[in-house]
Amino acid sequence: MISPDPWVWLSAILTICSFSLLYGDNKFFRFAEHTFTAVVIGHNVVMGVFTLRDRFYLLYTGQKLLLILPLILGIMVIFMIWRKYAWLAAIPMAIMIGVSQGIIVRALVSTDVMGNVKAVISEGASIFVGNPADGVGTLIRVAFTITAVFYFLFTFAFKSTTSRPLEYFRTFGKYVLLIFIGIYVGNQSMQNSMLATSAINRLVRNWLGFG
Amino acid sequence: MKLPELQARQVWTIVLIGYLIPAFIPLGMSPVISSGTQNIYDTIQSLPPNSIVMCGGGGVFAFDLESSAGLIAALKQMSKLNVKVVFYPMWIETMQFSKYCVDSARVDEKYGGPWKYGRDYVILPYIPGNEVGLVSFLNDVKKTVSTDYAGTPLTQLSIMDGLNSYKDITVWICAQWDGVTILRYVTGEYGIKVLWFAQSSAYSAFGPYMQVYPGKIYITNGALGGAQYEKLNDMKGLGHAALDSNVVFTLLFIGFLVLGNITMLYGDKKVKT
Repeated sequence: MISPDPWVWLSAILTICSFSLLYGDNKFFRFAEHTFTAVVIGHNVVMGVFTLRDRFYLLYTGQKLLLILPLILGIMVIFMIWRKYAWLAAIPMAIMIGVSQGIIVRALVSTDVMGNVKAVISEGASIFVGNPADGVGTLIRVAFTITAVFYFLFTFAFKSTTSRPLEYFRTFGKYVLLIFIGIYVGNQSMQNSMLATSAINRLVRNWLGFG
Repeated sequence: MKLPELQARQVWTIVLIGYLIPAFIPLGMSPVISSGTQNIYDTIQSLPPNSIVMCGGGGVFAFDLESSAGLIAALKQMSKLNVKVVFYPMWIETMQFSKYCVDSARVDEKYGGPWKYGRDYVILPYIPGNEVGLVSFLNDVKKTVSTDYAGTPLTQLSIMDGLNSYKDITVWICAQWDGVTILRYVTGEYGIKVLWFAQSSAYSAFGPYMQVYPGKIYITNGALGGAQYEKLNDMKGLGHAALDSNVVFTLLFIGFLVLGNITMLYGDKKVKT
């Protein structure tokens, strides 16, 4: 049975309007596009107001007066739009960037750099231990990781007696990266296919009532 | 003989028909359960009573839909266990996504489910600051956030009585695109186990984290992982629908690939002659 819910109808009409781009640019697609943009902006503005309400709840109720400091810093950011007073916005921006970069770099070094190095070393040690099939998988992972990193670290041309074998190593790293890109693009197309499935299922099941 | 040329519109029409067939007539594809998915299921199933499960990250609603298949099944699973779920929206749209998943899972008492808002689950408001907000939250929950998404003070929600810092969190479930931030901090810095219903592209990019923190991080692969999780929970949802569509999509893709190659080879031959 076709859904009597007006919101489901609205969703279905906007979905069909969006899909109509596949036939070519048209007024229905542009209507859906502009509606989406307007809704996103409106939603973000409302969320901004709600966030102010939620974040400074303890300030309004007098439980945490120190919250006045981030509130002032937040207001200072608005001065960015007046050239004469734009320097005021630089202060909260500097604090934000400084704090966030400090936290980000700390985590990146410990997880992405040190964590991956530790993982490769520990996996390298377990290649010849246990199930041979797992060992082959581990060997591939370790070899691929090392050669891919090698490709990025040694981008210059080699000129020595060992240049030829090292060049092979580097070329192998390049193919490893191409394999990764292939897998990534394949998975990305699966993701996009899933989004289309989700939209079509909404049309067929929620709107038209099949399935 | 002149080969007919396929217009883009004709290709899209064929693709649309390809997607519509499994939507009307499900193919009934059944996924093979991967070890990552099985580990996520086992971890949730073995949660001690009254465990606090965090659920959140940063993502865009449309893309996170892919992960919703797994999360909805996990919410249904958790509703049968005596655990508390706290939703943590790190990006704006995560809040709506969390509500969408809870509603779709039909676990709230207003849908006849066992969960009561404020007692069994709560949706926190959007917490800005990404990494900064997350680290602050893990260190001191009550200093970072004081109300839920509707503006209700956390002091009025019994579920929040037992959540003060990262020490109270048993496991963190993420179904958002930016799960890597959760992995880096929640597992990397605080040692909490993370279960990630990742999107397909995120899985291929961040899958190696499972090797970096063995036994601490389990990741599923997009809609396929979602279908596997649905199967483990004996249900059929978006994951299974996506599996059917992907089969048709892949067949069409191969078909177009073959057609394109034939056209190209035929064209080359014609040029040479």
